[in-house]
Amino acid sequence: MSADDDRAIKLREAGEREAARLWRAWRTVHEMVQDRGYELTEEEVKISLDQFKANFTGPDGTIDRRLMRFSARPSDAMMIKYANVPTANNPAAASADIGTIWIEFLPDSSVGIKQMRNFAQYLASNNFHTGILVTNVNITPAALKIIPAVASETRIECFVEQDLLVNITHHELVPKHVLLSKEEKTKLLERYRLKDTQLPRIQLGDPVARYLGLRRGQVVKIIRKSETAGRYASYRLCV
Amino acid sequence: MASSTPLKSILKKPPSSYPATSSSSTSKADRDREVALYHANLLQQRKDVEFTIVLNMETLIDFPHAGPPHDASNPSLSDARSFKELLRPFRPSDYDALIVERNINELCGYALCPNPRTKETGGGLYRLLGMNGKAKDFKVVKKEELEKWCSEACAKRALYVRVQLSESPAWEREGAQTVNIDLLDEPKSEEDQAVEKMRNMHLNNTGDAERRQDSASLALERGETGAGRSGLMDIRIQENQTQDPAQPPSLDTEELSGRLDTMHLTMEGHTPSFGSRRQRRHEDEYGSPGGEDIDVDVDRDWRV
Ligand SMILES: [Zn+2]
Repeated sequence: MSADDDRAIKLREAGEREAARLWRAWRTVHEMVQDRGYELTEEEVKISLDQFKANFTGPDGTIDRRLMRFSARPSDAMMIKYANVPTANNPAAASADIGTIWIEFLPDSSVGIKQMRNFAQYLASNNFHTGILVTNVNITPAALKIIPAVASETRIECFVEQDLLVNITHHELVPKHVLLSKEEKTKLLERYRLKDTQLPRIQLGDPVARYLGLRRGQVVKIIRKSETAGRYASYRLCV
Repeated sequence: MASSTPLKSILKKPPSSYPATSSSSTSKADRDREVALYHANLLQQRKDVEFTIVLNMETLIDFPHAGPPHDASNPSLSDARSFKELLRPFRPSDYDALIVERNINELCGYALCPNPRTKETGGGLYRLLGMNGKAKDFKVVKKEELEKWCSEACAKRALYVRVQLSESPAWEREGAQTVNIDLLDEPKSEEDQAVEKMRNMHLNNTGDAERRQDSASLALERGETGAGRSGLMDIRIQENQTQDPAQPPSLDTEELSGRLDTMHLTMEGHTPSFGSRRQRRHEDEYGSPGGEDIDVDVDRDWRV
């Protein structure tokens, strides 16, 4: 009897821990999407644990990852940030390379080519510009090779739940990173008479670059607080 | 890479004409650009091959296409053929990745097998195999290793293919180095064999017919008739009646020490019985064959 009770208690505790984990990942993803400039309401971002459990608990009493999915549209400010600047030899600039984003948590215990292909097809058929796949486990190397192959149709990013338990940009040692628009980038380079390759760099795979969804060629402004100099800014080119 | 001048394709040149050494390009800038292009092309080629491998892998996840009469021990001809074709650019590591991908979809790792992979019940990381056979069959195997396949037979089939794959990446292989893969269990249904025969026949046919026509007209010229053919031996090969079920050959270890004396004289497992060296030495020394020693030798020969 008591052994059964014990097991039931342990099971419930494990379920609670899992729910809390997923809630934190869910919150981080929302903050990330909001920080990138997509439109989300404060209620969506700052959801309470109880509300989260109420929304995503399946019939078996545990959190059902298949219910954890949402989309968001880019804000006007974000559209401006990604807008192409009309230039002398290209007066009719192409429209901004940005659009609706789709985020999905995957319950599968292993993620391979099949799941990645399904995700890509789902994004393409629903006209999602960007997709974020959050998995419980690492994705096979072969499946990751699908991503560049479908890049012309849709932009896929992958995160592991484990990496989203805390929001790295909230850490006090991580300075604020702000993406420059194309226009701001041009002005910066003109002011300092630089070529963009002369800037210091930030890797595409850098955790903050991944958080902001940076692309090759974009420039971020990094704002640091210094005890001696107050605030100072530096710039990095994403490579 | 937006350049107004049309770019020359460096791919079509043989690799020996590395652009830096060719004297045709004049300015340094030209040469630099050619070198950069050359390497970019190599890189592109490599990427293309890698992506082909992923696509092939994707196709092989859904293998085999043929239905019930066919299984891993008797794949359909078309499946077997495309399996070999798709595996051509693979390295062993790519093959392992394919097995992982199939396992993710709960399929047996051997791409020509339609069965689901086994799921071992119970915990523990290892399993003991061959507990009731001979000691040499005993194995300790990782559970996850067993769960890659539907059966041990499929593990063998899959590994039989794996060892035939080339370690060198496909973009570095010479044209002659194309990989020809044999299966442990080739297609064997009658229908498929007939198809295979037809294909072979078709391939040889044109040349054969001409040759036959030529030799026929030559024979006519020489005035040869059918009589010449009766000189050939007429051989009929007949199979022996078998009483016992067939036994696989084995190294019968317990008899090995007994045969060591004469082993160097055996030819393909048979020891000729007309006098071993020892017997002859015996004759030299004592004049005539005889004695117990020799009897044993003779006995032994019979047993072998
Ligand atoms: Zn199998």
